[in-house]
Amino acid sequence: MPAIEARGLHKRYGDVTAVDDVSLTVEAGEIYGVLGRNGAGKTTAVETIAGLRRPDRGTAAVLGLDPRRDRARLRQVLGVQLQHANLPNALTVGELVRLYRSFYRDGADPGELIERVGLAEQRKVRFEKLSGGQQQRLSIALALVGGPRAAILDELTTGLDPQARRGMWSTVEDLRDSGVTVVLVSHHMDEVERLCDRVAVIDAGRVAAVGSPADLVARAGLEQVVRFRTAEPFEARVLDGVEEAREVRVSGDEVAVTGSGNLLQAVSTALVRAGVTVLETRFQQATLEDAFLALTGRPFDGEEESR
Amino acid sequence: MTAADVPVHRPGPRAWLLLIAAEAKMVARDTSGLIVPLGLPLLILVMNGFSYAGETTADGIDVFELYVMPIALTIVIASVGVINMPSFLVYYRRTKVLRRLGATPAHPAMILVAQMVVAAVQSIAGIAVGVAAAMLFFGVGLPTDLGLALAVLGLAALTMFAVGMIVAAVAPTPSSGVAFGLVGFLLLGATGGMFGPTENLPGPVAAVGEVLPFGAAVQAVGNAWVGLEQNPAHLLAMVAAIAVSVAIAVRFFRWE
Repeated sequence: MPAIEARGLHKRYGDVTAVDDVSLTVEAGEIYGVLGRNGAGKTTAVETIAGLRRPDRGTAAVLGLDPRRDRARLRQVLGVQLQHANLPNALTVGELVRLYRSFYRDGADPGELIERVGLAEQRKVRFEKLSGGQQQRLSIALALVGGPRAAILDELTTGLDPQARRGMWSTVEDLRDSGVTVVLVSHHMDEVERLCDRVAVIDAGRVAAVGSPADLVARAGLEQVVRFRTAEPFEARVLDGVEEAREVRVSGDEVAVTGSGNLLQAVSTALVRAGVTVLETRFQQATLEDAFLALTGRPFDGEEESR
Repeated sequence: MTAADVPVHRPGPRAWLLLIAAEAKMVARDTSGLIVPLGLPLLILVMNGFSYAGETTADGIDVFELYVMPIALTIVIASVGVINMPSFLVYYRRTKVLRRLGATPAHPAMILVAQMVVAAVQSIAGIAVGVAAAMLFFGVGLPTDLGLALAVLGLAALTMFAVGMIVAAVAPTPSSGVAFGLVGFLLLGATGGMFGPTENLPGPVAAVGEVLPFGAAVQAVGNAWVGLEQNPAHLLAMVAAIAVSVAIAVRFFRWE
């Protein structure tokens, strides 16, 4: 039984269809990415799954529970980090974690949790005095304070500096290691590529593709390019027997080989066999961002208006 | 992987206590919000104390006890109920604090209840300070019928909190919440005698003001204090204000 299952979710706001027939299956213990532009409907979709919005159509089950009917049970086992949700300004880190802990039957020790998210020194600091990264880490702590079996984290690292982002990433990896199923909503390609076991690409309210980051890149059929320079003039027929190479272009002493599969190794082997001396090899592989572009047919700018 | 075996758990007494404590800290740390409910009544008492202390009406009733005390105490409960409490609730909704709470086993309604408890404590503190000052400096005695006076004050406080819930329900932003609350407070206060005896107001305005929450509260508390008979119109006016306010608030309140 999957940890989270959504079937045919629909949600309209006036004339705008925010979520259009979204189905997702998240297996227990994986980090599942929900990737899309701002305003693509990611947040609406996961908040519907979390029972915070009522779908117009479709069903969802989280750990076998109906998000609305079994709300009381679900809240005990699902941790949620909401986008742009603030906390009472004048309360301190310690006060908020203890308060939220009191809502749950079981859960983390507040002191240990505060240390785990790296806020030990801010224990007595009010929410309003925390930096953006510290507020975000507190928000994570509150999502985890009830010891959830699954967690939905929405735009976890938006607005954080690079060091804080990496800190967040390792927190999420620790979560998976402790057996928590994580749904990570993000519009950051690097984050999704680095963390997620599988990714659903959401575009204009629909699921455009699902797979591991590597799968998605492969499925997009994007090609790789190996570029190198040679000491002697290059004979293109050296690469004739390389199946992976689709096109070889020589301009001056620079050679660009375009192809797919295990292109780099195939080209290197052929060059060594032919005794060609290669200077400076560069290898360009399609990234998840290229795949995203290919799968959704539009460039990813990540800066569209959010709703 | 299923969680169907997880026992249903509602936040218990400890959660309630922590939530009320958290709301109390929020209110206490918002120092500027304490000036009106704690400071303004004292100012009114002192200012009027010099002019009215020892004066009596034609019937021999102490003017200070009949008019000044009830106005000062009504200011306490009205400023807490109509300005302070709603401003917190509007701020919580606007900044999605309520929504965040809805994603936990706690219901956002818990924060409403906690705010009301804290508002009640705040009112009691303000009333205690006002009464203590009046007794110490202006020789005001305890109400003739203490129980009745407390009951009337309690009803008046409920009325103000209910009116405040309208503000909490309709104000879209925290600053508009303060604005709505302040305007409501001043309107009710002005027609209810906050700025001077209602005899100086145009007749119809005074008549309407007397059945609006502030005026009705002042009259009822004043009568209770000096031992005059209660006018049922004042009490009914407050009960009606509670019913109407709660209906409006329930109709328009949004959690997010």
